[in-house]
Amino acid sequence: MHTLRQLSALIRLSLYDLYRRKDLVIVTILAVVVLVPMSFATPFGIKGASRYLNEISLLLVWLFVLVIAMTRTARIIPTEIDSRTIYPLLAKPASRTVILLGRYAGVLIASLSVLLLFYGLYALINTMKSAFFPWEVFIQALLLHISFVILVTALALLGSLFFNSDANLSVSGILIAGMILYGQQLPVLAAEHSLPIRAILHILYWLAPHCELFDMRTRLIHHWPAIPWLACFCIFLYALAYAAFCFGIATWLFNRKKV
Amino acid sequence: MSSVITIDHVSKSYGTCNAVSDLTLSLHAGEILGFLGANGAGKTTTIKMLLGFFSPDSGQISLFGHNPSDASTRQRVGFMPETAYYYPYLNIRELLSFYGGLCGMSSSLIRQRSEDLIARTGLDHAKKRLLKTYSKGMLQRAGIAQALLHDPDLLILDEPFTGLDPLARIQLRDLILELKTKGKTILFSSHELSEAELMCDRVAIMKNGKLVLAKPVKEVVCDGNTNLERIFLNVLQAP
Repeated sequence: MHTLRQLSALIRLSLYDLYRRKDLVIVTILAVVVLVPMSFATPFGIKGASRYLNEISLLLVWLFVLVIAMTRTARIIPTEIDSRTIYPLLAKPASRTVILLGRYAGVLIASLSVLLLFYGLYALINTMKSAFFPWEVFIQALLLHISFVILVTALALLGSLFFNSDANLSVSGILIAGMILYGQQLPVLAAEHSLPIRAILHILYWLAPHCELFDMRTRLIHHWPAIPWLACFCIFLYALAYAAFCFGIATWLFNRKKV
Repeated sequence: MSSVITIDHVSKSYGTCNAVSDLTLSLHAGEILGFLGANGAGKTTTIKMLLGFFSPDSGQISLFGHNPSDASTRQRVGFMPETAYYYPYLNIRELLSFYGGLCGMSSSLIRQRSEDLIARTGLDHAKKRLLKTYSKGMLQRAGIAQALLHDPDLLILDEPFTGLDPLARIQLRDLILELKTKGKTILFSSHELSEAELMCDRVAIMKNGKLVLAKPVKEVVCDGNTNLERIFLNVLQAP
């Protein structure tokens, strides 16, 4: 009960932050600006162009959610330290593990609420526009996007214990973008090199987060069939395990951090 | 008399700088201790160790006989930092609700204690305003309210009088003295020697990380021709 109250207080703090800093208003405006053009059946008078608009809209949704999730997570601990709110926080009878978990859960819930807003609007516009909407693929895309947010926020949280928020955003951003764009190429690249570069590339391939697994945009836009639910569930578990690993290291570091 | 704070031969250094050297000090239940010293004397480092923010390099610290780094020990401790910029997007009620939740208090208890403390710290007129609109003195009052919220047995106040106007200063002094009558133990670090002289049972003066004087105020200023300020200057200027 005691721990639940502590977690609830920490989560509410992040939600107040989201609400009072007008982030929700900005996100809602963005969602409308990004997603409403999809409602045109034949944009620019070209039949079939709506799929391209869908693609651009979903790409922007991915980018906005990624930026919101990462910037919010990356600044949790550095901001607490810079503003000295860390002192009264740590002086309260809450363990550092609970504090970190509560702050992480808070930004995660805030980021996921933004994600749900985008996806809700996407589904609404598409169901209004066309009789057919691929619900199964949509739900899988949403689940995998949620998994992706869980993973990247945990990664940014871990980074925030090594770097300041700007450096953390750069490092995490490069890692995530690099893995989305070139993650699949690492084993191919490794095969072309000899030791020790080959070993380094293989280690990087297995250690870095496989962000490319979570992207279902193409299937959703082009109405391709859903992936097997078992695969979807395994990717979800992979994200949870990776996030738990990052959170575990972050907790270990935070418990030893001098403030 | 039971010992609330026990600091036993504690040392702490940052690289080559000895922040605290072989400090031994204790504080008994119901006492008010003025923890004095110039800037960089080691007061804040000692307070941070008392709150379990980090451990000493050597020596032992205990609060109520327990390790201060245990979260349960801090249930009985209230802390007001020297300068805190509380979450600017909250109002005072939300701030106290947040800290109350961290202390594991129920919503009804938080509401009851918050209203009382908001009134007592003179923030009644500003309770709906966001903290980002508060002056420095008002933030200090918010800091006092959050430190007292869970009715702690031990209060650690780091420079509590900083930024307060004369009226607020008198109100805080009265509040501290009232807490003493309720049996609370209070340690405060300060540069305000006149306040320390008026309120404290004992003073401890730090210089370059070392404790150079720890005596009851009555003994320090027993001679009618002297005061704490003069003693403080003498101690600091001594080789």
